[in-house]
Amino acid sequence: MTGFVEIALLLSAPLLLAATGELVLERAGSIQIGLEGTMLVGAYVAFAVGRGGSSPEASLAAAAVAGLLAGLLFALFAVARRADPILVGTVWNLLALGATAFAYRLAAGETGSVLEVRTLPRGLFGIPDAVAASFLAPVVLHLWLARTRAGLRLTAAGENPEALRSLGLSVVAVRSGAAAASGVLGALGGAMLILTVSPTFVEGVTAGRGFLALALVVFARWKPLALLPAALLLGSVTALQYRLQAGGFGLPYAFFLALPGLVALAALALASTRGGAPKALGSTAP
Amino acid sequence: MKARTVLGVAIGTLAAAALLVLLAGASPADAFAALLRGAFGSKAAVGETAARSTGLVLTAVAAVVAFRAGVLNIGLEGQFLAGAAAAAAVGPLFPDLPIAARAAVVFAAPLAGALQAAPAVWLAEKRQVPPVLSTILLNLVAVAGVTWLVRGPLRDPAGDYPQSRALSDAVLLSPLVPGARATAAVLAALGLAATAAFLLARTPLGLALRAVGEAPRAARAAGLPDVRLRSGAFLASGALAGLAGGLEVLALTGRLYDPFSAGVGYSGIAAALLGGMTPLGGAASGFLFAALGAGSSALQRDAGVPSALASIVPALAVLGLLLARGGRTAESSR
Repeated sequence: MTGFVEIALLLSAPLLLAATGELVLERAGSIQIGLEGTMLVGAYVAFAVGRGGSSPEASLAAAAVAGLLAGLLFALFAVARRADPILVGTVWNLLALGATAFAYRLAAGETGSVLEVRTLPRGLFGIPDAVAASFLAPVVLHLWLARTRAGLRLTAAGENPEALRSLGLSVVAVRSGAAAASGVLGALGGAMLILTVSPTFVEGVTAGRGFLALALVVFARWKPLALLPAALLLGSVTALQYRLQAGGFGLPYAFFLALPGLVALAALALASTRGGAPKALGSTAP
Repeated sequence: MKARTVLGVAIGTLAAAALLVLLAGASPADAFAALLRGAFGSKAAVGETAARSTGLVLTAVAAVVAFRAGVLNIGLEGQFLAGAAAAAAVGPLFPDLPIAARAAVVFAAPLAGALQAAPAVWLAEKRQVPPVLSTILLNLVAVAGVTWLVRGPLRDPAGDYPQSRALSDAVLLSPLVPGARATAAVLAALGLAATAAFLLARTPLGLALRAVGEAPRAARAAGLPDVRLRSGAFLASGALAGLAGGLEVLALTGRLYDPFSAGVGYSGIAAALLGGMTPLGGAASGFLFAALGAGSSALQRDAGVPSALASIVPALAVLGLLLARGGRTAESSR
């Protein structure tokens, strides 16, 4: 059973990190539906750097830098230039999928041989320390949002950007910062996938995890602490699938795959209005 | 859109594409020639481009119909899958009656697409849930649905792989011209694009839809049935994407498998954007994307440039456009 718990934790961590990042951005009033693309970029950078002979820790750091750039790029388009974030995110997904596939083809050539990178070593709790630290991310975010002035400003940018602006603060700056943070966390999520459970890159290796993370944010009603049980449940279900598939039972997996979407939809349907979403979610910055 | 903007974006995109080709160690001139040959160089190439354009044209028109009415329908991918699943379910029912089987597909696929969109319509109008959120979630459900269907109810008992039973050769649409893959589905897609263009630009219904999209409060104050117009556009958008999925099965694949779509629903949105949110512009962009797709296969084979170029170039073009136009695209969002 230890094997199962370990895999479940390893599979939960990427979802949790990406969802935590998305939650930061959405609480600030913007939304990046291209999270799948950001995770994919993080996964590819971690793979490319790892293949270059660097340590897994260095790969993780490189992915974080790539995520920072991705987040700032999103902020340039969707926050500073005020283009519709939904359209920017849609196109970002297409670009990231194409660009990582292109780069991988060039790096790997036509051989199709499997190229593996070194994974993160086990740490204190039998899982890599970076994975263990991922589970603190929502807790830290919760405290930061509730207890700090910066956290309150971020929430204000998502609930009432006009009020923030009337205090002489820049909504663009707050949302850009949130976009940068969400880029870093999303890319780290993708990188962690490569550096733990799936140490090689294939096209679309994130396999819809970015969209699942988006669903988790809705499911958690934009509350960081609620991400923990939601991500753990999803990670466990995916780990269970590995077991079931090995045993020849593939069918219930599809139901579990649909579950996060269905539950999040139900949560939206049962909530009174907007399902608890930030009031100014998706609005342009004043 | 200013001509200068268009020119700037086109030059920027071409320059970026040339740079990528150089990165891959090929000459841009050779690559461009290979791309053109692959997309238009022969009867088979033109047929391939036309065949690939069907789904892109229809999903682009679907995006235009919803977005112009103020509905950000990101669920085209899921609606496409629902239509394909419906086609795979009803298509094999009448293996010896091609007309009945085709009629069943053309009826069931749009219906499935609209049904796939229906929960999002209800959530948007009754619970004020942004369609962006609900349609992304519905896409997840649709992807999982396909995974389940091809392993469960629709599984071909004779096959080794998890895929649905094949439509019989008599039912599948045959090529318009022998030796090319394009079928009447392409003509249907173009006809629907023209119809949508006419409806949106030239009829009271189109005017009302655009009014609801651009100024929902003013439209309501003017007495327009805004809820019905928005919901209708949303469902019609889902139906068009569903038809795209159905025709994909009826004209090209003949069955459903997993994963079935490589993101045609999302590419359709990009095509609509590049086409200036008009049905004919979206159709033209969809055709361009299809030509890139067909050409890039030749590009990889002849010049060694990874075919993923075909998804980078459109994305760059659309990003360039978004950067140039900035906030002016935000008005239609709700």
